[in-house]
Amino acid sequence: MNTEVVLAAVETTDAEAVLQATRLLIEDCERRFSRFLPGSEVSALNRSAGAWFSTSPELIEMLQQSRQYHQSTGGLFDPSILPDLKRAGYDRSIDEIRGTGAARGPEPREDRPDFQSLEIDTTGGRVRLLPGMQIDLGGIAKGWIVNKAAGLLSEDLPNCAVSAGGDIVFKGTPADGELWQIRIEDPWDSAREVMRLGIGAGAVATSSVVKRSWRQHGVSRHHLIDPRTGEPAAGDWVSVTVLAPSIMTAEVYAKAVLIGGAGETPRLLQQEPEISFFAVKMDGSILSSFELMESFDEHKSRVLQ
Amino acid sequence: MKIMKLALRSWIALTSVFSFMAAWAMLAHAPKPVQGKSISSSSSAIAVTPLPTLAPLPPLNLTGNTDGGSFQLPPITIQQAPAAPPVNMFSQAPVFTTGGS
Repeated sequence: MNTEVVLAAVETTDAEAVLQATRLLIEDCERRFSRFLPGSEVSALNRSAGAWFSTSPELIEMLQQSRQYHQSTGGLFDPSILPDLKRAGYDRSIDEIRGTGAARGPEPREDRPDFQSLEIDTTGGRVRLLPGMQIDLGGIAKGWIVNKAAGLLSEDLPNCAVSAGGDIVFKGTPADGELWQIRIEDPWDSAREVMRLGIGAGAVATSSVVKRSWRQHGVSRHHLIDPRTGEPAAGDWVSVTVLAPSIMTAEVYAKAVLIGGAGETPRLLQQEPEISFFAVKMDGSILSSFELMESFDEHKSRVLQ
Repeated sequence: MKIMKLALRSWIALTSVFSFMAAWAMLAHAPKPVQGKSISSSSSAIAVTPLPTLAPLPPLNLTGNTDGGSFQLPPITIQQAPAAPPVNMFSQAPVFTTGGS
């Protein structure tokens, strides 16, 4: 995932074994779902486009959820944008690109099948990408992995948190207070924060056009592709933080809200009334929609400023 | 007249001597004044005892055992901390950062 993972828990028993198991789960998932690893399941699926491919139950589950989010976001969340990512220069890991710059593109955009045309055979455990379809699960895999890791960790340690690059699941309550503390980073200066939140059990995720950005022939590019244009999103929102009961919903809608911007956000919030978001705009101003969220356990999110 | 002057002088002299001697006697038998906060050895004094010396903590044993590579730390004695002032509920909980990645 090319990011930092943090496991935190209030220890009531010996935590070493479950922490180790959780770490192994995360490492195994990354090996399977990273498009940058030629031997990963996702890479093998992409090479099989046009034919049925036997896949694991976990990948099928992730693809099914991806299809649902693709529909609920009106296509703003779209895992089939891998060709557009490569056109924008994101054909290697972000560390390699930052060091050398984008090696290719921009190239003309080619027509490709709609993501809804993906075929899933749950009984047979197989998936078929239509010819020309290539998928990148970077918009949902991190949340999916964090969700699984938090589920495993909470079996032994019910009060815990799992964070992968700022996509965070909170279970139970922290040791010394009623609420978990979240610091929302200034998108332009990670040493500064723009807001501090207190949150109960739930999830938070942030999408930013700053964190994964690079230069392509002198032009600034980033990884949040607008599926409507095939180009990096060009709105005036720099980062969007979403709070939601589910980490996958938070991760997906952080991207969808950022890409869709002010024009699409009302519709997105109607689709998912349980989410709240917090956006930093290009001019530095802040837009938020925090409300009390009855779907959280006995805790509610609060703005601490 | 000479006799009266002599008698008066004698009276003054005698009263002066007697007054001096009486004052001397009173001062000689008066109780001594207390000097500052000196500790006396009487039974009502405040005894000051030195603070207990904390025992040094045992060194951590970081060598792995055969139990799947996990580390077993020796038990550490916890000293009860003095009462802490009221703490903001957010001052002790860990702080997580979100900002995209």
